[in-house]
Amino acid sequence: MNLLFAIVFTVSTFLLLCTSPEQFLSALLDGAGKSASLCVSLVATYAVWMGLIQVWQDSGITKAVSKLVKPIAKKLFKTTDDEALEAISMNLSVNLLGISGAATPYGIKAAQRLDKTENAEYASAMLFVLNATSLQLLPTSIVAVRVALKSGSPTDIILPTIFATLLSTVLGVLLTKLFIKPAVTQKKTIKSGRDFILKNVKIEGVGTR
Amino acid sequence: MNYILSLLIPMIFLFSFLFALSRKVKVYDSFTEGVKGAIPLVLSIFPYIATVAMLSKLFEVSGLESKITSFISPFFRFTGIPEEIASLVLIKPLSGSGSIAVLTQILERYGVDSYAARCACVAYGTADTIFYIGAVYFAGIKRKKLTAAFVISILSYLAAVIFSCFLCRIM
Repeated sequence: MNLLFAIVFTVSTFLLLCTSPEQFLSALLDGAGKSASLCVSLVATYAVWMGLIQVWQDSGITKAVSKLVKPIAKKLFKTTDDEALEAISMNLSVNLLGISGAATPYGIKAAQRLDKTENAEYASAMLFVLNATSLQLLPTSIVAVRVALKSGSPTDIILPTIFATLLSTVLGVLLTKLFIKPAVTQKKTIKSGRDFILKNVKIEGVGTR
Repeated sequence: MNYILSLLIPMIFLFSFLFALSRKVKVYDSFTEGVKGAIPLVLSIFPYIATVAMLSKLFEVSGLESKITSFISPFFRFTGIPEEIASLVLIKPLSGSGSIAVLTQILERYGVDSYAARCACVAYGTADTIFYIGAVYFAGIKRKKLTAAFVISILSYLAAVIFSCFLCRIM
């Protein structure tokens, strides 16, 4: 991100310097202003959805849903951290429904939690890819735009959209599995006294080139 | 169909609240507790959103965006992506509000049910605002592999866009 930022920023600035330098500051201010109004609308969105999320939490819906999705999340993310898995499960299920307002708080929570776990590199990358390639069952906002513009068949894009978003997600997951290998964790049983202690031994460098 | 879709969100709220009530949850206390987190969350992501927004505005105003668009549109034609949607394909990973604006423009200019417009709609749904995900979800998190994840996301997105245009031709 640092490199990309530096390149795009300097090249754009250089171009502006040659063509219309007076637009430089106004472009920055305009961008910042847009982000300020975006943040105001985000406060509204998050207020609505985080309220609901807390109700889900307190009534046990979060637990029930994440129990269903957790096994898949565990396989996909190769992590055993319960709190992270719960946030991931909710992030994925809410994303499927197309409620990105509710998915973001869970996603942020998952990212922060994953950063503290052992397998952070791989799991964070997986979280990034899954959210970036957003698997969505119903493209509600697009259908709404098409209805507003009086399309003859506003819903005929639903099926191709599902196929296309499925492709981007599956491809993303496969590429992540292929190129960003998880740190291999092996479970070794060590006998000590009467107890068997499960100890996770992390082997670094296995599977990396 | 659209009517059924519009029922989805109110139903989710209704059932969640009814279920919470049946579990004797104090819904008002619980809801306000959740809302409390909204402002700190937005404050924590603001610097990243602001910077990406400034950058994408600069990218657009400087003409770099249109230069890149005209540079790569022959490649797009080669892969079956109509030139009309090239600007959408470029802006979609950068800006959510920007891409909705460009999408609406395309739909209005070429007709909602035209081939280009349908491609635009399907391509729009293939991925999320990738830069925004990076900036917001991973605000302040420094992990080496996130760059690789970013490249993978962009590649999967482009592949899916090509696939979308192919699907629109046959479906």
